[in-house]
Amino acid sequence: MKDKATSLFEDFAAGRLCRRDLIRGAAKLGIGSAAASIMLNSVQTQAMAANWDWMKFKGKSIKLLLNKHPYTDAMLANLDHFKKMTGMNVTYDVFPEDVYFDKVTTALSSKSTAYDVFMSGAYQTWQYGPAGWLVDLNEFIHDPAANSPDFNVKDFLPNLLASDSWSGVPGEPLGGKGAKQWAMPWGFELNSISYNKKMFAEAKLEPPMNLPDLIVKAEKLQKDIKGIYGIGVRGSRSWATIHPGYLSGLVSYGGSDFDVVNGKLKAAMNSPQAKKFTKLWIEMIQKAGPRNWTNYTWYEVGNDLGAGASAMIFDADILGFFQQAGSKQSGNIGFHAFAANPEKKAPTPNVWIWSLAMSAFSANKPASWMFLQWAAGAEQCLYGATKASQVDPVRQSIWNDKDFQSRLNAKYPGYLEQYQASAPGSKIYFTPQPLFFNLTTDWAAALQEMYAKQVPVDEGLDKLAERVQSQLRDAGIAD
Amino acid sequence: MQGKSVLRAVSLVLIGLFFLFPLFWVFLMSFMTNADILRNPPSVIFSPTLHNYGALISGNLGTVVGTQKIDYMLNLFNSFVLSSGSVILSLILGVPAAYAFARFKFRLGEDMAFTLLSFRFAPPLLVLLPLLIYFQQMGLYDTYFGLIWVYQLITLPLVLWIVRGYFEDVSEDIELAYRLDGHSWLQTFLRISIPLARPGIAAAALLSFIFAWNNFIFALILGSSSVQPVTVGALAFITASGIEYGQIAAALVLSIVPTLILALFTQRYLVEGLSLGAIKG
Amino acid sequence: MPNPAAATMAVSHAKRRSGARMARILPYLLSLPALLTCIGILVPFFSAVYYALQRYNLAFPAGRKFIWLDNFVQLFLSGEFWHTITISLLYTALTVGLEMLLGLAIALLLWRRSFVTNLLSVALILPLMVAPEIASLMWKLMTNANFGILSYFVSVIGIHDFRWASAPQSALFTVVLVDMWVYTPFISILLLAGLRGLPRQPFEAAELDGVPTSFVFFRIMLPMLLPYMLTAGLFRMLDSIQQFDIIYAMTQGGPGNTLMVFQIQAYLQAFTFTNIGRASAILVVLWAITFALSKVFMKNWLRLRERAHGLA
Repeated sequence: MKDKATSLFEDFAAGRLCRRDLIRGAAKLGIGSAAASIMLNSVQTQAMAANWDWMKFKGKSIKLLLNKHPYTDAMLANLDHFKKMTGMNVTYDVFPEDVYFDKVTTALSSKSTAYDVFMSGAYQTWQYGPAGWLVDLNEFIHDPAANSPDFNVKDFLPNLLASDSWSGVPGEPLGGKGAKQWAMPWGFELNSISYNKKMFAEAKLEPPMNLPDLIVKAEKLQKDIKGIYGIGVRGSRSWATIHPGYLSGLVSYGGSDFDVVNGKLKAAMNSPQAKKFTKLWIEMIQKAGPRNWTNYTWYEVGNDLGAGASAMIFDADILGFFQQAGSKQSGNIGFHAFAANPEKKAPTPNVWIWSLAMSAFSANKPASWMFLQWAAGAEQCLYGATKASQVDPVRQSIWNDKDFQSRLNAKYPGYLEQYQASAPGSKIYFTPQPLFFNLTTDWAAALQEMYAKQVPVDEGLDKLAERVQSQLRDAGIAD
Repeated sequence: MQGKSVLRAVSLVLIGLFFLFPLFWVFLMSFMTNADILRNPPSVIFSPTLHNYGALISGNLGTVVGTQKIDYMLNLFNSFVLSSGSVILSLILGVPAAYAFARFKFRLGEDMAFTLLSFRFAPPLLVLLPLLIYFQQMGLYDTYFGLIWVYQLITLPLVLWIVRGYFEDVSEDIELAYRLDGHSWLQTFLRISIPLARPGIAAAALLSFIFAWNNFIFALILGSSSVQPVTVGALAFITASGIEYGQIAAALVLSIVPTLILALFTQRYLVEGLSLGAIKG
Repeated sequence: MPNPAAATMAVSHAKRRSGARMARILPYLLSLPALLTCIGILVPFFSAVYYALQRYNLAFPAGRKFIWLDNFVQLFLSGEFWHTITISLLYTALTVGLEMLLGLAIALLLWRRSFVTNLLSVALILPLMVAPEIASLMWKLMTNANFGILSYFVSVIGIHDFRWASAPQSALFTVVLVDMWVYTPFISILLLAGLRGLPRQPFEAAELDGVPTSFVFFRIMLPMLLPYMLTAGLFRMLDSIQQFDIIYAMTQGGPGNTLMVFQIQAYLQAFTFTNIGRASAILVVLWAITFALSKVFMKNWLRLRERAHGLA
């Protein structure tokens, strides 16, 4: 059988078989598609090079700047494969997440040539792009000669690809006309409910249908089960507090960060919809949120769910995924798509996209692209999604992959359904503009004051909008 | 009298508790799994594990989503190189200067002394960005040498001001007598002044070692991951899939060990040394 | 104090004539290397001052231009910045003041030598050896409402809803507490050393004359200790007004704007908002305040040192 399998893969690698036939053929031989892609991996190390010249930049060196993250681990685990296949030398620096963007910002601002490719969020590209630190990747994407057959840009989820591209004009839509592709999506997370199934069963509750329902249920859970609180969300004085649950809910209620009027931005944090939603949001946290809410970051929210201190979280789906993977509550975590507004059926989750970007100061741009299109390519993403924790995948083919699906269904029941319900409405809902971090940090501070009852919600949002407007005016992007 | 010594004993216990209990708790945590640490309410009953230390030393951090590579041992080594290098350089530069300010009244002397102290005033963030640009131009980026140079901003003022006070309290009569014996100034400085001031120098060295050890921002911005100290390395245990508190606790314990050894080594000097003069005029 | 320069010069004269010139340049020879080593840092310092006079946001390279003092004007016109100044100074006064009192008390308690005090005087350096940013992580866990041992303790003594760094009412208290935990040992070690170095005669004489303890403490001991206290206080003040690690790790400057001190404000402006001009301006103001405070300290240090010498 081994010989049969090998010849099957060689057929594929030589272009005699398409991918679907390969997988089907492999399945007949009793090889799962994940295993198939691993075998393929090794055959392709030599074979793919036959179709397309992987060795084009043999001997070149590039350096990566990476955040300590499961996606990074997935890539590093397979990096030798890339090095062998291309004859390139790849070195890397990994920094802890807490300080990662400080490192990126300082390295780029000093025009450092040390790094060629680095990890970035989409929001960061709104600063880095206009600053002139990033390469517009369109020049490579649309150059057939620069891409392996494996790359296939159409395979990327369109919302995500668009979310990483922007014209640089504040207020113009992501992925709109004249947009530059500042980065390639690599792995992403959308925001939904992850909940403790055991606790919900104990309190005889179903997952919440909408925000008012969530508040009622969170309170009941907190009352019925000793020593826990109802709902975990982030609350630290940071932009990261705004982009997960809060913005997803705000959008569901018809709110937004800005209105764009005649190409100029107008702060909309204090719209009637936003006020209505924010009141509920603050009420939710006051009644059933964590007691140290203003200190809560991604880490605390996740830790509490995993340790059984909270009944549910409204945060990134992969945060629940990680807790299910291994924590005290592993095995008890359920996943649930969520639309906050009772009048809306479809969820509108905001997303965070870990992406790969190329430094404008790189001395080896074509070689850097060689790496980038491999790292964001279908094979590597499949490897990451099935053999490591590069979840959520940014490519449609991987969501369709049977092996990936069965991996999810085996250990993460409900995750795929959650994803499928959330995905259509998932994208970045912020208005792109370079003051993103100022304004969202300010927003988080305002929420903290409302939570502490230092200021009523209406007044807090009005003041926030006023401050934001004046900052935009100072920067020349609003009247 | 009775009441007074009871009060004294109670105060000592309270102070001991305040300063040492958190460390004791961290020490316990370093032998706990994350599941044991994240319990409500916290408890001291657990089955101790050496797993945290094992992960640090072997460099394989097991998280819930797989094994990560970490370089904590390299971080420890870097911290050691940076801190001891900085202290040694500070002593070479600072001790003669401290002697000059203590012994001689010279034009601009106090001004120079104040200027040297004033390097401590500049907030690190203020100089960091321009410094990064210059470091890259001069090829000092990502070098131990460059970092040790920058660390002088932390260690040199401390050495200078503590050792200066110390020299001022060492009697000049002995130096004078030795010089009248026909020895040169340099011989006197090396054979008499420095040995007499040795305890104070040891104390200043320890304190500046600690401050250099605890620095965080300079190495982060001015170096790649190959020169990062423990202060940056310990953050690696805050992973996307959760905070590995047990490993942070173990990292913290390990990071204290070198300083503690140095402190025990210089302990006799530290209290005695400072007590002979240090900052007294 | 006899004039050492004169004495040295006399010796030099006895040896040979050229020694006189040597003696004149010797102090410069000794101190210049230290100065030159540090002076390199002045270049980036002036670059930063230059940035402070510009509208300079990395994300708006086209908008970069020279605006003289406009950054400073904007700062001082905003209420937030006055809050930053107030809270930074308050934090500094509280930490330096409380640490000085506690440090002095500890030094006095450990003054008399015994097995216990010797042991404690080493053990108490331990908190100083923990990097503040990591110490804060641990304190954050210890004050966590679910898993924190300290939260558990306060709930055991009947305070059920104490929110530590997360509530505006108790945030300052919490970060000051952590600062005290980390840095009081620095002061107590320096003061203990000072105490043990004090000459015996004045105290023995006072005891023989039956002078009241309070008089001995306030009129003899404190004045003699003051130079030590000032040095310890100076170094603590320099670190405290520039505090970043502890406050950032515990609250990121929040809740709301409660703990928005200089360095956090500047850090956010520079690293998160990429507004280098504004960040530099904030830091220049911080530098000026630090400089002025240090001048005051230094003047008193020189004066008190003379006086303490007189007392001994």
